[in-house]
Amino acid sequence: MEDVKADETLDARGLSCPMPVLKTKKAMDNLKSGQVLEILSTDPGTRNDLPSWTKRTGNEFLGEKQDDGYLRFYVKKK
Amino acid sequence: MAEESVLKNKFKQGYAAVFYEQWPALTGGLLLGLFSILIVAWSRPWGIVGGIRNWADWLFYGLGFYPLRPENPFLFSGSVMDIGFLLGTFGSALLAKEFAFRWAPTLEMIKGLVGGTLMGVGSALAIGCNVGAFYTPLINLSASGFPMLIGLMIGGFIGLKYLLWELEKFPSPAAFVPAAKPGKKRFAWKSVQPYLGALVFLGLVLWAYVYAGRAFTEIGGLLLFGAAFGIILQRCRFCFVRAFRDPFMTGEAGIAKAIVLSIILGSLGVAVLKWTGVRPESTYVIPAFWGGSLFGGIIFGIGMVIAGGCGSGTLWRVAEGQLKLWAALLTFATFNSLTTTFLRSTGWRQKLGRAVFLPDVFGWGGSLLFIAGILLLWYLLVTWNEETNKFTIGF
Repeated sequence: MEDVKADETLDARGLSCPMPVLKTKKAMDNLKSGQVLEILSTDPGTRNDLPSWTKRTGNEFLGEKQDDGYLRFYVKKK
Repeated sequence: MAEESVLKNKFKQGYAAVFYEQWPALTGGLLLGLFSILIVAWSRPWGIVGGIRNWADWLFYGLGFYPLRPENPFLFSGSVMDIGFLLGTFGSALLAKEFAFRWAPTLEMIKGLVGGTLMGVGSALAIGCNVGAFYTPLINLSASGFPMLIGLMIGGFIGLKYLLWELEKFPSPAAFVPAAKPGKKRFAWKSVQPYLGALVFLGLVLWAYVYAGRAFTEIGGLLLFGAAFGIILQRCRFCFVRAFRDPFMTGEAGIAKAIVLSIILGSLGVAVLKWTGVRPESTYVIPAFWGGSLFGGIIFGIGMVIAGGCGSGTLWRVAEGQLKLWAALLTFATFNSLTTTFLRSTGWRQKLGRAVFLPDVFGWGGSLLFIAGILLLWYLLVTWNEETNKFTIGF
């Protein structure tokens, strides 16, 4: 998971459940198959919500990275 | 040397599983059910709104709006449970290094205020929130829990519809306030958090001892029970809102299923306590069947989805530092207090409904079967929807 190149970045910092997941869904709709979306979030719940949603919708959850006061998540469109 | 590090690793994993990782919903549900029985055996059923209304009552009394002095918040059971809940959640969040003041964009803060207002009004009509008008009444065999269940489902659906509409109309910008200027040397608060958390728990235990020392053992126990509920909910990130929103949003039914099992377990235990006469049959049989529960439930349901937290959910998120929910708590408490006072003084409170104790209608065994039956129906519905996504509108 070291060097994942994101095609798009969604800044969802400061938003709380369920907004990060809802916005992810919207952003993913605009991606082409195989592209990677990076999501920035401050909501602790996102750590479980996002992988869960990703799996349910058949996409690939690549992982999360800790940054200064927020988290970066990487999701690959199926 | 090798054995030492294996042991150390095992300890680290165990510690992480309890204090850092999120607990499974089912674990939370079963623990909640168990504690719901124990707290009734100890003193009284679990509730949330009574306490926060007491605090708002004090505010209005202090401002001169209310003539009557409210109950002492340190001796009133509802308030003490909520204090314990907040402290338990705070300590739990600290131990997991999850506490942080989380700012939200303006639109989110407004949603917090509006959602809280709806929850305040709804919980006044239903005479309780997701806990006090749905979860706990069903466990205590009150028929009012069922119209509340339906109301919350309807409200949850409407609330979700609003969020989806808002997603299109207002792509709100995120608001991130960095903790400090980058490059500036900062005190490592995160690593201190677990020690603060331990202090909080020590404080809770000491406080319970102080209560016991002054012949208020029962109240001291409620403080600790409140903390237990808070810890369970925070560790599981247990969110009743999800039970009513997720089946429509993503199809997920995990929390709904956990709640079903939790209520079935709790109702069995409390039925025994009531049947054997340990507690009066009328305990927590809410006189809101069915208009107050249904319409209060709908309004509350809309509010909780918009606010991003229900009664219990708002409290544990407040203790995590989520400022949107602080706004929600403010309007939740104040509007519940004002609405309740209004209902009482106009006599309209009587119109909310009647107190219906299920064993009076179905007998003891019949009531337990009825409760389990309706809830398992809900369980089946959400499980079926999980596979077929027939009711999922979010995606």
